[in-house]
Amino acid sequence: MKHLTKALGLGLAAAATFAACAAAATLTIGSTTLSAGNASVTACTSSLSATRNVDNSGNVTQVNVAGIPTACSGETLSVTLVGSGNAALGSGSGTVGSCGTTCSVTITSFGATVSASNVTGYSFGLTGA
Amino acid sequence: MRRLRLTPRRVAVVLAATVGIGAGVAYAATLTVGSWHLWAGSQTLTKGTCTLTGTTQTSDTYVTQATPGGTNGSATTMLVRSNSGSVDWSFVSFNLSSCSLPTTGGADTATLTLFITTAPASNRTLSLTPVLTTWSPTTLTWTAAQSLTYGSSATTSFTTGTTNNVSRSATLTVDVDALIKNPSASFGWRINDTTGSGNATTTFATSENVNAGRRPQLVINYEK
Repeated sequence: MKHLTKALGLGLAAAATFAACAAAATLTIGSTTLSAGNASVTACTSSLSATRNVDNSGNVTQVNVAGIPTACSGETLSVTLVGSGNAALGSGSGTVGSCGTTCSVTITSFGATVSASNVTGYSFGLTGA
Repeated sequence: MRRLRLTPRRVAVVLAATVGIGAGVAYAATLTVGSWHLWAGSQTLTKGTCTLTGTTQTSDTYVTQATPGGTNGSATTMLVRSNSGSVDWSFVSFNLSSCSLPTTGGADTATLTLFITTAPASNRTLSLTPVLTTWSPTTLTWTAAQSLTYGSSATTSFTTGTTNNVSRSATLTVDVDALIKNPSASFGWRINDTTGSGNATTTFATSENVNAGRRPQLVINYEK
């Protein structure tokens, strides 16, 4: 019985060691997502800019993001229309398709009617494998 | 109860199983970390207002069906009339270059203001239709205006009322937004009477009008 107890104890110690490794990896995932400069996570671009179209009432009908590097192909682009005080006026997303020299994404739905007069900027997010 | 005997082989099996489970978890987690691209950024817009008026920034004229070869580029007023056989159309365009807007900018709002010097006897509805091909106020005739290309539909319309010496405004945001993005297509608008039947003339001040406050004016609230 003593031998069995020792063996189980050894096994549990080994499991704990590997579980700790897994936990550390999980922690790394979470912290890398939220911190810049971690070598484990790379970005396919360093900047983006958008243009938008309006209807005759001055409401945004679409946002166009061009000049996206081909390295971002297949990734998901999220765009938020930002207003005064960094308020989110609306947001939408699209997939960066396969493309030639550079890619573009056009987003036409923002979950709300947004007056262009109220838009002071855009926030972008790119995620993908 | 049967006692479980500890043998070196059993210990090795327990250890191998434990190592396998732990390594599997760690490997999956590592794969997830390495396979994701993440990027976040922002862009701040600059807002402003640009007002266009006067002869250096405005081109306007009118053409008359009754005189199909005539030009009116230097007239101080321009006419819009709906009357069979003697229709009048007015044309107005603006040079956006003085606003110094990049093609990545856009119009938040754009409002055209026209001054009616002589109103029609009855209220009329006038439409503004984008012109898609080039014209010059010094050479445009009724005949030439028939060969211009126009938008498939009017952008907007407004009513004249029956009072002289009043301003009327029309919203042209969608057209001006497109012109900012493609300045080479800035050919302005045709103004015509779309009320239907009847003989009524609306007279507007042009950019040559001596009273600067009565000249056509385009106010653009923009972003860039």
